[in-house]
Amino acid sequence: MTTVEIEQIRAYMFVIGTGIVMAIFYYYIIYLYRSEKKGEKDYEKYSNLALDDELDSKILDKNPKIENDKKE
Amino acid sequence: MQSNATMEYDYSVVKLFMWTAVIFGIVGMTIGVLIASQLAFPDLNYLLGEYGTFSRLRPLHTNVVIYGFTLSGIWASFYYTAQRVLKVSISESGLLKALTKLHFLLYLVIATGMVVSLALGITASKEYAQMEWPLDALVVLTWVIFGINMFGLIGLRREKTLYISLWYYIAFFLGVAMLYLFNNMEVPTMFFSGGLGAWYHSVSMYAGTNDALVQWWWGHNAVAFVFTVPIIALIYYFLPKESGQAVYSYKLSLLSFWGLMFVYLWAGGHHLLWSTVPDWMQTMGSVFSVVLILPSWGSAINMLLTMKGEWNQLTENPLIKFMVLASTFYMLSTLEGPIQAVKSVNAIAHFTDWIPGHVHDGVLGWVAFMIFAALMHMAPRVFKREIYSKSLLESQFWIQTIGVVLYFTSMWIAGITQGMMWRAVDEYGNLVYSFIDTVSVLHPYYALRALGGLLYLIGMFMFAYNFFKTATAGKRLEQEPRYRSPMA
Amino acid sequence: MFHWLEKNPFFFAVGVFIVIAYAGLIEILPNFAEAARPVKGLKPYTVLQLAGKEVYKKDNCIACHSQLIRPFKAETDRYGQYSLSGEYAYDRPFLWGSKRTGPDLHRVGNYRTPDWHANHMWNPKSVVPDSIMPAYKHQFTNVADLETAYAEAVTVKKVFGTPYGADIAPGKAAYEKELKTKILPEALKIATAMKRDDLIKMVKAGKVPEVVALVAYLEKLK
Repeated sequence: MTTVEIEQIRAYMFVIGTGIVMAIFYYYIIYLYRSEKKGEKDYEKYSNLALDDELDSKILDKNPKIENDKKE
Repeated sequence: MQSNATMEYDYSVVKLFMWTAVIFGIVGMTIGVLIASQLAFPDLNYLLGEYGTFSRLRPLHTNVVIYGFTLSGIWASFYYTAQRVLKVSISESGLLKALTKLHFLLYLVIATGMVVSLALGITASKEYAQMEWPLDALVVLTWVIFGINMFGLIGLRREKTLYISLWYYIAFFLGVAMLYLFNNMEVPTMFFSGGLGAWYHSVSMYAGTNDALVQWWWGHNAVAFVFTVPIIALIYYFLPKESGQAVYSYKLSLLSFWGLMFVYLWAGGHHLLWSTVPDWMQTMGSVFSVVLILPSWGSAINMLLTMKGEWNQLTENPLIKFMVLASTFYMLSTLEGPIQAVKSVNAIAHFTDWIPGHVHDGVLGWVAFMIFAALMHMAPRVFKREIYSKSLLESQFWIQTIGVVLYFTSMWIAGITQGMMWRAVDEYGNLVYSFIDTVSVLHPYYALRALGGLLYLIGMFMFAYNFFKTATAGKRLEQEPRYRSPMA
Repeated sequence: MFHWLEKNPFFFAVGVFIVIAYAGLIEILPNFAEAARPVKGLKPYTVLQLAGKEVYKKDNCIACHSQLIRPFKAETDRYGQYSLSGEYAYDRPFLWGSKRTGPDLHRVGNYRTPDWHANHMWNPKSVVPDSIMPAYKHQFTNVADLETAYAEAVTVKKVFGTPYGADIAPGKAAYEKELKTKILPEALKIATAMKRDDLIKMVKAGKVPEVVALVAYLEKLK
């Protein structure tokens, strides 16, 4: 491969890749706000993970693989 | 219900890392003050013979504060935070408990090897990647163990959603792993020469411009993934927890995360402006460095807004002071960095003292302040004792803040003065100043910088004393404090 | 889809990795295909010069000295022709440095002499009265590690195809031969030019002081 070809491939990869990432990123923003508006997801509640962090604090999303033996 | 009633978070490894953070902090900063003074008063170069020159000590200073103080602080915080936000204790798995201990032991071995080898002048010479291949191999092993511990804890978690701090820790793990591996590719010379020469010697896989490119891709991103990413992880946990205020906008924190991840890696090219790397790559480095302001400020503003309506805590609680000032310094250095990355500014700033000035307002103001706050927040919970002295913390805060301000203002002036003098020409186009003129003129600024550093070091000693007293003589706590750390 | 990613650490980590690796993939990797070609007439370092480069690394000269002349008039006036990529083709590692507490050294061989270096390394203030550089007197007594430098030459020849002659070959015997026929005579020339009897005496006794190797390296920087 010649240097020019490599440079071209690199430029295409850059433009396409950045485009895809930007698209996903903006979709993510829309998704975050829309899902909250529709009431599907409340992202803000996860802030509390830092505040309620005792072993016996209430668990927001239980991990089904782990037996949550102490909380019933 | 059986054993869980008495189950607790396991802080044994946290404690170990907290102690090493304090010890390496003292060592690294003492060397720092010494070498800063050597620039102002060159006679100080001869205190330790061959081992005491500025040039030999500088990598010791950088490596001990980065890989000693900072990494210890990060790992202490990681093992503390990860257990709590995942709601799982290290003691639940014997394997993980053993591996966390192994992690600490290997880390100590590497740190000792690093200090000894750098003092002896055994170095691969790439900045912040000076360790030779035997130590590099150990680093990789340690990193794998750290990864197992991290994903092991995540695997056992009760809380399915990962808190934003953990996102940053994961990025820290992955980023450093990738960068470190690529930058430290080296060929040990002993194996190819029939056993000749020193066994620890190696040559870099890359030559010249390629080597520089990889090095600064590492050099800058080591800053990203050691000084920024994990420290953001710290602040996203410790500031809300200490203040009792939920993060202002969790969504903003998620967006800043992805923004930072994507943009940061492009910025490494700005260390090589006007050098022999291809032009468009230099431009990329500049442009992305400027874009980088957005996600950085996203996190910082998010932190400041977290304090909304609770600003009275700023006056009442020194730990909040440390953390709020840290986010402010984070904003300052993430604005300053992009400015320096603009090609025309870089033409003046590069190679001058403005660069160490920039690094230090970041590390002293942001990284170290955050680590101090984190260690002091953890201390009462880990040692089950009250913080020994609030007034000591307060004075430490002010002394160190003055130290940082002296440091970066003197370095700004020194850097710009020198940059301008290097390029000053008279009416006939001849250079006005010989090189030594541009060195002599810096003496007052070097002296001022050394003074700033000394103040900071005094603060570090106050912190160490306070920490030691907290661990040994603080008032016993019956119950773990929920938010604000109790202090006497 | 996004929330699923947020709850699945493995795929989350993969996602993060792709995002952070992307810049490297575009920026760095393709450059390797086009390895920096040496400029015409560039010779690899001699073993003595390599040993000097090791001294340069050991006493960490890059803490204060750069080896990169940028394309500005102020810099080319001060230091000479700006640096070209191909001039670094045999530099492993690169030694550009990042801070100029002292002047750039990329072309120091053009305008300093070995005996100037000898005086300067012994006592910088004797030639530059205001210098803040420390004296490196230990380099006059420490012996340079020529064997490791030779091992390095063999390694780069074998692994990276650096164009050394057939006499650079693995094994103790080849090293001893190179030492007698090439390295020591070259060191003697440098030591003589440095005009210090103690250095000449050491080289004649078969021990090359670090400073002689260092000056050999600095003389190569042109």
